[in-house]
Amino acid sequence: MATGELWREPEVLDTDVAVVGSGGAGLMCVLHALTARPDLDVTVVSKGAVGRSGCTRMVQGGYNAVLDPEDSVELHLRDTVQGGKFLNDQSLARALVDDAPRVINELETRVGCFFDRRADGRIHQKAFAGQAFDRTVHRGDLTGIEIMGRLRDQMFRLGPRELEDVRALDLVHDAEGELAGLTALNVRTGDPLVVRARVVVVATGGSATMYRVAAPAREKTGDGVAMCWRAGLPMRDMEMLQFHPTGLLAGPSRMTGAVLEEGLRGAGAHLYNATGERYMARYDAERMERSTRDVVARAGYLEIMAGRGTDEGGVSIDISHLGSGEVERRFPGMVARTRQIGQDLATGPVQVSPTAHFHMGGVLIDADCRTDVDGLLVAGEDAGGTHGANRLGGNGVAESTVFGARAGDTAARLARQRPLRTPVQTEVRASLARAYAPLTRSLGPWPFDLTRRLKEIMWRSVGVVRDGASLENAGKELAALADEIEHIAVPGPPQVNFAWQEALDLVNQVTVARAMAHAAAWRTETRGAHARSDFPDTHVRARYLVQRAGGDGPAGAIASEERDVEFSHLRPDDLEGRPGS
Amino acid sequence: MGEAATADTNAGELLRVTVTRSADDARSEFLVTRIRPMTVLDALLAVQREHDPAVAFRFSCRVGMCGTCTVRVDGRSVLACQTDIPADTVRIRVDPLAGLPVVRDLIVDTGPFWQAWGSVRPYLVPGEDADVGMDGEPAVIAPDSAERRAIDPALDCIGCAACFSSCGIASAHRDFVGPAALNRAMVLIADSRDDATAERLRVVGAESGVDRCHYIYGCSAACPKGLDPAGAIRRLRGRRFRGDR
Repeated sequence: MATGELWREPEVLDTDVAVVGSGGAGLMCVLHALTARPDLDVTVVSKGAVGRSGCTRMVQGGYNAVLDPEDSVELHLRDTVQGGKFLNDQSLARALVDDAPRVINELETRVGCFFDRRADGRIHQKAFAGQAFDRTVHRGDLTGIEIMGRLRDQMFRLGPRELEDVRALDLVHDAEGELAGLTALNVRTGDPLVVRARVVVVATGGSATMYRVAAPAREKTGDGVAMCWRAGLPMRDMEMLQFHPTGLLAGPSRMTGAVLEEGLRGAGAHLYNATGERYMARYDAERMERSTRDVVARAGYLEIMAGRGTDEGGVSIDISHLGSGEVERRFPGMVARTRQIGQDLATGPVQVSPTAHFHMGGVLIDADCRTDVDGLLVAGEDAGGTHGANRLGGNGVAESTVFGARAGDTAARLARQRPLRTPVQTEVRASLARAYAPLTRSLGPWPFDLTRRLKEIMWRSVGVVRDGASLENAGKELAALADEIEHIAVPGPPQVNFAWQEALDLVNQVTVARAMAHAAAWRTETRGAHARSDFPDTHVRARYLVQRAGGDGPAGAIASEERDVEFSHLRPDDLEGRPGS
Repeated sequence: MGEAATADTNAGELLRVTVTRSADDARSEFLVTRIRPMTVLDALLAVQREHDPAVAFRFSCRVGMCGTCTVRVDGRSVLACQTDIPADTVRIRVDPLAGLPVVRDLIVDTGPFWQAWGSVRPYLVPGEDADVGMDGEPAVIAPDSAERRAIDPALDCIGCAACFSSCGIASAHRDFVGPAALNRAMVLIADSRDDATAERLRVVGAESGVDRCHYIYGCSAACPKGLDPAGAIRRLRGRRFRGDR
C-alpha cells in the first residue's frame, strides 16, 4: 500500500522531551524536567485526557513515605523487599523509599496538594497492610484525585505541549540505529504524526485490563511495555501480576472489577463461598479474612474455580453484622458503590471476586529511569523491579511520582547531550502500515470478541493460581490469538474510531500477555503474586527472567535468560527471626 | 429517568437508546439488550459493540473518578458510569454536554471549560519566601482550622464539567467562568499557603466572575461528587466585603 492512500504524509513535530502518558509518572516527569530547565520544549503524548486518564487518579488508599522521626527509610525498604519476596531490584526499592518523603514535600509545597492532617496540624499517616509503621499519607479516600488534580493544575503554570487523544505507536530510530523519537496517531483526526525528540519517556501505566475481572482504567492496555518490547528492550518479572482480593461483581456491567477496599476486611468483614462456609478457615485459620492480599485473593479464586462460587462466579463479602449505621459511617464510598449496582454492603452480603490490579513486571531500568537504549527512559508501572514479586498498598503512587520525578531530572540532563535525529522512513512507514492495517481489511473479525477471548484466557490460565498444563495451553491459545488479531477488520473512517483503537490496544495487550504466560511457565515455584498449584514451594535462590522480543510482531518468538537477584542492601537472612518474615 | 415501562413494551429486555450524532446521516436510534445492573455507560458500550462501532463517547475509569464520561441523559448532565438505568426505564436519550463544542457525537472539546479554569490561576502560588520543592516543609495547619473547614468540603473536584453544562449562564456562552473555576478560586483564596489572593479576587470580581451567577443552583445539583460550587460563589461574593480569607 502506498503512503498517502490511507493516511496523510505525517506531520513532523520536534521537541526536546516527549513524555508518553499523563498519569502520575508522566506529569511528575514534566514538572521536574521543566523545573530543572524551564527553557526545554516538553511534549505530553496522551491516549486519553491529559491528567485524567490512567490509574494514579483512581488511588484511594494513599502514599507510603517516611515522615515520622520514629520511622526510618531502612524500615520502609525492609517492608518493600519483604513484601516483594526478595525479587525486587533493591537499587530501585532504595530510590523509592529515599525519595518518597521528598516527593511528598514537593507535592505539598510546590504542587499544592494538601494531605490529611493530625490534630497538631502535621501530615497524618495511616496504617496499611504489610508495613511495620503507619506511614501512608492520604487525602481522605480520594488521594489520587488530589495528586492528579493538582498536577494537572501545574500544567497551566508550566505549559508543556499537550497532545491529547494522541496514541503513541512505535519508537523509531535514525540510520545509525540511535533513538530518534516516535510515531503516533491522532485519535480525533485519524492522522499520523512523527515526534522527533532528544529524549523519550515512556510512562503509560500497566496492562491489567487484559483479565476478565480487572480494576484499572481502560487506557491501561500495556501500550508502553509493548512499544518497548517491539523496540527490543529487555523486560523482567512479567509473570508478576497482583490481584486485589475483593473486586465488585456486577454481571456484564463495566463496573465489574472495581475494587472494594481492603479496609472492609480489616474492619471485620467475613467471606463466604456459595455453600455458606467461611472458607478462609481452610486457608489461614489464624488470620482468616485479615490475611494478606495474595492469600485472600488465592483462596477466593480457588473456591470459585472449585465450583464453590456463586452463580455469578464470585464469593460473598459480608460486613452487615457491624450494623448498617456503622458500615455507612465508616465506608460511605463503598456502600454507595454497591448500592449503585443494586446491592447493599450496609445490610447484606455483596458478590466479589479477585480482580486484576497491578503489573509488577516491566522494562529493566536503573534508578535514573535509563534503559538499554540511549535517550529512552521508562517510569512507573511500565518499569519492572521496584516491587519484586508483590507490591505493598501505598507503594504504587509513590513509585509513579518518585520515578516520574527522576525521569524528569534525567531527561533534562540528557536533552543537553542528545541531538535531534531523523528517523529512517522505512521504520516510520512500517509502523504506520501496521497501525492502519485494520482499516484496510474488509473481511475479518471486529476486535471486541477477541478482547473478550483474551480476557478469558488470561483469567482461566494465567490467573491468580497457575499450573504447568494450563500455562502451556495458554501459550498456544495466545499464539493463535496473536495470529488472528493480524486479520482484524474495522469499518468506518479513521477519525474517532474506537473499534480501530481497540484493535490497536489488543495488539499491545496480546504482546504483553504472551510474555506474561511465557514467564509464568518458566517460574516453577510460588513467590509473591505468582502462585503455582503444581509448585507450591518457594526456591531458596531468588532468580528472575529477562525477556525480549526474539522475532517480529505479536506472534514473534520470545528470547529469555535467567538472572540471580542481587541483594545489594538486604539479604533474606537479614530478616530472620523478624515477625512476619 | 426516561419514559416508564408500559404493559405493551418489553420492559427488562430491550432498551431504546437515542444518541445525538454529529453527522446528519448517522444512525441515532438503537435497541440494546438490558443487563442488570446497567449504567448509561453500559448502554453506550452496547450500542458501540453491537450496532455501530463508530458511535463516539469518552470514558476512562468507570468509577466516577476521571470525570471524562460526562454526558446529558434526558437533559441532565451526569457521569455516564455513575448513572444507573432503572429496571422500568425503556428509553433514554443521550446528548453531548451543553455549552462546549462537539468533537464528534458525545465527545466535546472541553477547551472552554479548562480555559475558564485556567483564568483563575488554578495552581498554588507560594509566597516569595516560602521554602518550595523537595526540601520544603509541609505547612502546619490544623484540620479544624477555619481555612480547612472552608476548603475540605470543596476539594475533590474531578473536572467533569457537569456543573458547567448545567449552568444556564456558563453553557449559554454568556462570558462566565463558571462554577468549577470559581470553586477552585475559592479553595485557593482560602488556602493560607497561597499568595495570589489579590489577583484571583480581581478575576472573580470582574465582569465574567461571580456576579454572573443567578443562584439557580444547577451546578450544585449536578455535581457528581456532592460539591457545592454555588456555595463557593456565595462565599467569594461575601469575601469581597470582608477582609477574611
